[in-house]
Amino acid sequence: MASGEWRIEDDNKRVAPASPVTVGDAVASEPQVTTHNSSLALVAQMFPAGHNGALRRWPSVETQAVSLFDKRAGLIPSWKPHWTKVPTVGLTFPLGFEFQPKADKVAEKDGLNKISGPKVAESDLAELTDRSVHKSMTRLKPPSDAISLADRLFYLLQPPLQTMLAGQELIMPFEPFPYQFEGIGWLFQQKSALLADEMGLGKTMQTITAIRLLLRAGQIRRVLLVCPKPLIPNWQREFKAWAEELPLTVLEGDGTRRRMLWQMPVPVLLVNYELLVRDWADMLDDEKPKFDLVVLDEAQRIKNRDSCTSETARSVSRKRSWALTGTPIENRPEEMHTLFEYMTVIPKGGTPDLRQMQRLSRDYVLRRTKDLVMKDLPPRIDREEYLELTSAQKSAYLDAEQNGIVHLNELGDQISVQHVFELVLRLKQITNFDPLTGDSVKFERLAADMEEIAASGGKAILFSQWTKTIDWLKERLPAECGSLVYHGGVPHKQREPILRQFKDDPNSHLLLMSYGTGAVGLNLQFAGYVFLYDRWWNPAVEDQAINRAHRIGVKNAVIVTKFICKDTIEERIDRVLHEKRELFRAVLGDGTNSNASLSLTASEIFGLFDLKARHGKGTKKIAPKPAESSVDAA
Amino acid sequence: MSTAPASTESLRLGFLTALHLENRGYVAGLLVTNKYGRPLEFQCTAPVRPNRTQELLYGPTLVPFLLGELLSKTLLDRIGIKPHFVLTDLTEILDSRPHVALPVACVLKGTTTDAVRIGKLNFGLHAEFNEDSKAFERLAKELAADADLLEPLDRVREALDETMKAAA
Repeated sequence: MASGEWRIEDDNKRVAPASPVTVGDAVASEPQVTTHNSSLALVAQMFPAGHNGALRRWPSVETQAVSLFDKRAGLIPSWKPHWTKVPTVGLTFPLGFEFQPKADKVAEKDGLNKISGPKVAESDLAELTDRSVHKSMTRLKPPSDAISLADRLFYLLQPPLQTMLAGQELIMPFEPFPYQFEGIGWLFQQKSALLADEMGLGKTMQTITAIRLLLRAGQIRRVLLVCPKPLIPNWQREFKAWAEELPLTVLEGDGTRRRMLWQMPVPVLLVNYELLVRDWADMLDDEKPKFDLVVLDEAQRIKNRDSCTSETARSVSRKRSWALTGTPIENRPEEMHTLFEYMTVIPKGGTPDLRQMQRLSRDYVLRRTKDLVMKDLPPRIDREEYLELTSAQKSAYLDAEQNGIVHLNELGDQISVQHVFELVLRLKQITNFDPLTGDSVKFERLAADMEEIAASGGKAILFSQWTKTIDWLKERLPAECGSLVYHGGVPHKQREPILRQFKDDPNSHLLLMSYGTGAVGLNLQFAGYVFLYDRWWNPAVEDQAINRAHRIGVKNAVIVTKFICKDTIEERIDRVLHEKRELFRAVLGDGTNSNASLSLTASEIFGLFDLKARHGKGTKKIAPKPAESSVDAA
Repeated sequence: MSTAPASTESLRLGFLTALHLENRGYVAGLLVTNKYGRPLEFQCTAPVRPNRTQELLYGPTLVPFLLGELLSKTLLDRIGIKPHFVLTDLTEILDSRPHVALPVACVLKGTTTDAVRIGKLNFGLHAEFNEDSKAFERLAKELAADADLLEPLDRVREALDETMKAAA
């Protein structure tokens, strides 16, 4: 027997081995016990112990035999898996506005390219499951004032815009540019927004798409879109292109019809500023409809806080306030106060200072400029054409200038900005053409340029401040130019046909427009040449005019010619405007480029002339009292 | 088996995933969308943290049980707008399949012979429910060939992060 083995003694006792057992030896763990049979039928008895003398009834005690596996034996493990009920939180999304086209209607739409991604090769699949390789998508972010969890989750759980728009339910003529996706996403989440992209970058399209998505998401039900009257057809065209399934209702017709349209629960109602003011004034308070979103196009229309238009626009009941304008500041940064008040981000009558406006701009203004976002757009080539006045013009100009200055000097301290403006206007008119002889160096240059453009089949747009100048040009330009006129004097019904003719007629090479009517909202990207016959008071409006041609969709470079007559008021104005760009860039941020809006302060206007008044035996410099308002010419 | 959608217009997808939070346990979220990814309903669980006994006794089966059975089943029971399919990126959630009456698929890196192609990606099914492949093949025909079915799962994770931050 090995030394490590157990041995049995005579009385059947098992005795452990003398030497130590190895670790893990199961036999070694067997306990040392003596076995004998014993009955488990136990009996319980009660014994009197003296303390139970008060009991009247003898307690009975019984025993019961149970299996060892019975729970009552208490020998099986008491633990079993138990998990408390898991609480959950949930969020249901509102039903969106359902207007998907049926599949067969979609198939009928020829010429529409659905946005779809590339097919993925098997070999690329592994990469695709790596999230870091995912194509950059525009995700919606919760706005900074979305405090509740439900609000924040609402935005976080929306699909990326690219996905939303690639679905068959949202057909687009073509895929938006990346910056447009960002603009759409930004608008979607903003209760208050000023989209101030430079002209031609697609503010209309971004707005329409954002409206479309908000309707779909159930966030809005009724939209009021306000725009200048000439732009109604433009919006109708854009809605048809970018939201074909969305019913757009234009407020027009007689009073009865318009009253009915105001009350109809249409998703998008389009109205011009004049009708809005007129109808709103006629409605009783409880008749005035409420909107989920109000959009003001060319929102600089409400820049004057006290105007009827501005007050009416601000009084429309709305949950979201958007404004669109390429020129948020035309004359003074203070014009943005009214826009901020309309957007309900400052209190009524509030006048934020420059720093506050910068902060507000950061949160509520989105402005991108062409040179930052449209690197693929064909260039805009600006050339300043310096011209010498003809002798007749020079003579008339000098004469007017001298007489004008004398008159201003004679006014002494009574002089005001208005007086100086009148002189400036007169001098500018003479640089256009001499009123007596009709001589015009600008006309000569224009005619020469147009001869070349017409010969090559090109098209040009010309802008002037004065309808008189436009009519004068129309009479004198050669027939080969095929000039067409588009200004405030042209009846509204004739304007669309004129634009169509300019576009489609190969013999129409020149469209003569005034800044007032031609500068806003029209798409003329088939014109390769732009002439600024005379300069506007601020470059923002000039740029807006130029951007009728130089905008998305343009295929070739656009050549912009600005006529400047040497040694005249035009040179001096241009110099002062160049020096003033920085102020507006400071307010609106880096999105602005050199096309910032400006104006001339009174002192700068006076600085255009060396004005003196007699003072004793000598003279003294004269300047006006602080001016209260700027003057809009034309 | 799941109830097939009455029409392709009403097709609903469920995107189910989970996060492990340090010291707080596991939290899962389910996002139900239409076939274009537009959200219809979202549910998420509170964090579930196993105690030491549970960790020891469940051992390696703990995470599959938590994700695949406890959390997933809870979400699918509680959601009001029931999805027709469930897609996930966690293989443990595939273990929910025996406990729910819906086809469940998990995105795969690369491909296998049993994989089902849906959108841009390959998906694997629960080993005991290969018949789900027919249902998913029907689903694949309804979706765009370039549909990115991982993206909604990213949204769920972000929403879970946001919910946990709010609850902290």
